[in-house]
Amino acid sequence: MSEKKESSSINKIFNSLLVKIPSGTNDEEIERLQNTVLLYLEKYDDINGVILDISQVAVVDSFFARTIAETTQMIGLMGFKAVLTGMRPSIAITTIELGFNLGDVQFTLNVDKGLELLDY
Amino acid sequence: MAKNLSGNYKGEVEINSQSALISVRKVLRELTESIGFGITDITRIITAASELVRNVLIYAESGVMYWILIKNSEKIGIELVFKDSGPGISDIEKAMIDGFSTGKGLGKGLSGVKRLMDEMEISSEVGKGTYIRIKKWLKIKND
Repeated sequence: MSEKKESSSINKIFNSLLVKIPSGTNDEEIERLQNTVLLYLEKYDDINGVILDISQVAVVDSFFARTIAETTQMIGLMGFKAVLTGMRPSIAITTIELGFNLGDVQFTLNVDKGLELLDY
Repeated sequence: MAKNLSGNYKGEVEINSQSALISVRKVLRELTESIGFGITDITRIITAASELVRNVLIYAESGVMYWILIKNSEKIGIELVFKDSGPGISDIEKAMIDGFSTGKGLGKGLSGVKRLMDEMEISSEVGKGTYIRIKKWLKIKND
């Protein structure tokens, strides 16, 4: 059941891997998603990068921020670009106020712009 | 004024497992929405609470969060108290410094929480436990 949730959150669109992070995801699910993303990257050989869509995420706390930062670093280590999309204004505000550094990643407003950034 | 409250002005949530994060977020979302906080303040409150719940789980393994609706002559708000019988914080001032961490967190926990909320009070005794109170106010517009 939970595997279905993960695989339906990850889709290949043109040459990008689109990872939609569901709302209300708990710690375990986020870690599993992180693992699954990296396994998918290994599988496809024509991918430019990964779009992490956090438009459904309502709260970013230290664990989530750290996991996202780690994930983008891991994606980089495997030789791919990572793009974060869909950050809600309230998340942008609280992330800065909490002093989180989400790592070496580019941000775009939505998935369309993310795909453009990754050259499809 | 606060609408849609079922008459409860205070309550508590046990913190003894990861599921406490979900319960706390759910309870606080309902409360802050019915008090009338805007989405950004709702996010701040839930984020601050998530950090403190995590601290309880990491350092003390169990504790409790109390919530209370508060008001004075000009405004209404919410007060949250996080209480545990864990190891306590030996140097509170040090713990409040940005980036300081003795554990697995990002180390911005307490100082970040202070930035998110309007008021914060910490008392702790090594070997006995920790008590953290945070408040957020909503100004009532006078028409």
